[in-house]
Amino acid sequence: ALALLPARCLRRLSLLPPRLLPAPSRGLSGPRGGPPSALPLGRRVAVVAAVGGAAGGAWLYLRARKERERRERRRRELRALALGQGDFQLVDHRGRPRCKADFRGQWVLLYFGFTHCPDVCPDELEKLSRAVELLDRDAALPRVQPLFITVDPERDDVAAVGRYVRDFHPRLLGLTGSPEQVRAVSSAYRVYASAGPKDEDGDYIVDHTIIIYLLGPDGLFLDYYNRSKTADKIAESVRRHMESYEPLLD
Amino acid sequence: MSAPTMEERKACWAARDEFWRCLDTHTEDAPRCEKLRRSFESLCPQQWVKYFDKRRDFLKYKEKLETEGFHPAETDGKS
Repeated sequence: ALALLPARCLRRLSLLPPRLLPAPSRGLSGPRGGPPSALPLGRRVAVVAAVGGAAGGAWLYLRARKERERRERRRRELRALALGQGDFQLVDHRGRPRCKADFRGQWVLLYFGFTHCPDVCPDELEKLSRAVELLDRDAALPRVQPLFITVDPERDDVAAVGRYVRDFHPRLLGLTGSPEQVRAVSSAYRVYASAGPKDEDGDYIVDHTIIIYLLGPDGLFLDYYNRSKTADKIAESVRRHMESYEPLLD
Repeated sequence: MSAPTMEERKACWAARDEFWRCLDTHTEDAPRCEKLRRSFESLCPQQWVKYFDKRRDFLKYKEKLETEGFHPAETDGKS
């Protein structure tokens, strides 16, 4: 039984008066086998079990406390960052005005992109759609709202965004607006976007941050997923956030 | 000029992949793959062709780094 105890427990055991420890080379042979002053086997096992239990309990408590502290630290960081604060005024792909308050109370997976995007945006939106589908399968979880916001308002008007989002998850909502409105929401979410040079057709590629953001029901950023995160990993992470959610701002 | 639809995107990607497969088989011997190159250029917007060409260069460079390692350009003279 001694071999099962962590090192610190063995150290503590060695501080006990010698006669409480089993005699080393004799094994646990009971009262007749050991020196006259040794405790009976049952008592020795009980001591080891009690010490082991206390040590195990202490370890579990410390581990839980460390986990709590890590979560608290993360919440402090997220609160200080307060990414995505402030309102936005955009228009959805059906022409309805939308502001941030419209999404309060909902979990949102948000992707910034543009409809003339060669490959990355379709891939990421495909992935986002798949993650939402996976989460939809669990009836106990709140429905996630997938959101696409364009970083190319000059070309991506309501009609263009409408044509684009049709190819992905049925709940995917596309948002666009004036260049000022789009700039405001991009900077609120610290999204980098830079239009490249135009060719003779006037076509251009917009270089931009490739990230899927998770927003909690209070509208603030909770997590992000880059290109390397699979749909399964994203769904798993969103589920974990939902299960441990506490509002960031009071 | 409106953005490519999903069908157009997929057609472009398929043409690109065929072209790249040809380049892989003939070790970047572009003249051999001329027909596929023309098909790729006709099915993809010009900006995308440029973008995918750059991407191909990058992927090949990355592959080279991974197999041969990085050799900074040699300077002459001083040690």
